[in-house]
Amino acid sequence: MNTIPIIIDEKKLEVDPGKTILEVCRENEIEILTMCHLKGVLDIGACRLCLVEIEGINKLLSACTTKVAANMIIRTNTDRIKKYQRITTELFFAERNHVCAVCVANGKCELQDLGYKVGLDHIRYPHLFPQCEVDTSHPWYVMDHNRCIMCTRCVRVCNEVEGAHNWDVMNRGHQVRVISDFNSPWGESVTCTSCGKCLHACPTGAIWPKAIVQGQLQKNPGMINELVEKRKMKL
Amino acid sequence: MKSETAVPVKDMPKTDPRMKLIAAKLKKESFKPDALIEILHTAQNAYGYLPKEVLSYITKALHLPPSRVYSTVTFYHFFSLKSKGEHTCLVCTGTACYVKGAQAILNEIERGLGLKAGQVTADNKLGVQVARCIGACGLAPAVVLDDEVQAKVTPEEIVQKINAKIGTL
Ligand code: SF4
Ligand code: SF4
Ligand code: FES
Ligand code: FES
Repeated sequence: MNTIPIIIDEKKLEVDPGKTILEVCRENEIEILTMCHLKGVLDIGACRLCLVEIEGINKLLSACTTKVAANMIIRTNTDRIKKYQRITTELFFAERNHVCAVCVANGKCELQDLGYKVGLDHIRYPHLFPQCEVDTSHPWYVMDHNRCIMCTRCVRVCNEVEGAHNWDVMNRGHQVRVISDFNSPWGESVTCTSCGKCLHACPTGAIWPKAIVQGQLQKNPGMINELVEKRKMKL
Repeated sequence: MKSETAVPVKDMPKTDPRMKLIAAKLKKESFKPDALIEILHTAQNAYGYLPKEVLSYITKALHLPPSRVYSTVTFYHFFSLKSKGEHTCLVCTGTACYVKGAQAILNEIERGLGLKAGQVTADNKLGVQVARCIGACGLAPAVVLDDEVQAKVTPEEIVQKINAKIGTL
């Protein structure tokens, strides 16, 4: 295949057309912060954490949903981008109720890691403190909406990989919530196969297994793409 | 996990003219999942809201995931999941019912109970709604009081029945 020339952060690269900016950056060890991206499921550009600057385009574009084009000049770490990463991270924390000290995912959480990475020491926005449910009706797993960041990785994995489509999103604006079936308790789902993929896809402590000891949470989001690849192989 | 929470399609009340309207619409749209919004419109217009059983019925008929349907319903302001008021009075204002005096019924309800279409009493006891043809034209003018279709009613009768339901006067 013919390659195309692009420049990322002053670095000249020859890359395959058809790839996203994010894919190219990951292959070349250029760091891009992401949250809604999960390798193995479709990218939707929802979280706006992976924004990059492209010369000639005024708007910042999401690296996960923008394909590379010949002669693109891309910047991933300007002050403008860092400012937005910081804002996005603060909003994640302000929107729901995140109390890391008492969270099962403490020390194993992508949101917490992100906070450290952008140097979050305080949040400039008022916390919404919404009333959120904790659904413990499933025999093995818990869904705690207090810790959900609406990345919809669980929704996509359940739909695209497991094919069950237990999850979806209801309402709009601040009222959005991930729902099981007809917004009914997860334990009463007629679609969930209890496969556990959503738990591994979830970047925070929103979905977790009941059978764990505090601080022992093990999530393996990389497993999702491995599954997708193995299914393609059909050995 | 419970195996079935939804009402099986075959058990839907066949006698309810509103269900027949939805069934006809489903058929007209060849049970295509893409037609979800159109079918929900038909159901919302027939019932004044989207009862749970009706949603399950549509979900199964279209072979859609329940969460997808719920997501669509909660996205648009046009759809509502709750009936307005503990008791509901749905006055059909379709052509046949209109000709046979639907407006007189609405007037009497307004006079006797102080409620206009789309309103609910302050104590939430009664909600009054209108619908375009509920599929019972032979019974015109038709009114649906809670789940019962009232055939060929007079304005006075309907107000009396409502009063009996909500226990006023
Ligand atoms: S356990 Fe599997 S089937 Fe059930 S909601 Fe999660 S991903 Fe979907
Ligand atoms: S439950 Fe987890 S995976 Fe699902 S939307 Fe919320 S944070 Fe994302
Ligand atoms: S990772 Fe690109 S928008 Fe979320
Ligand atoms: S017009 Fe009222 S039932 Fe058809």
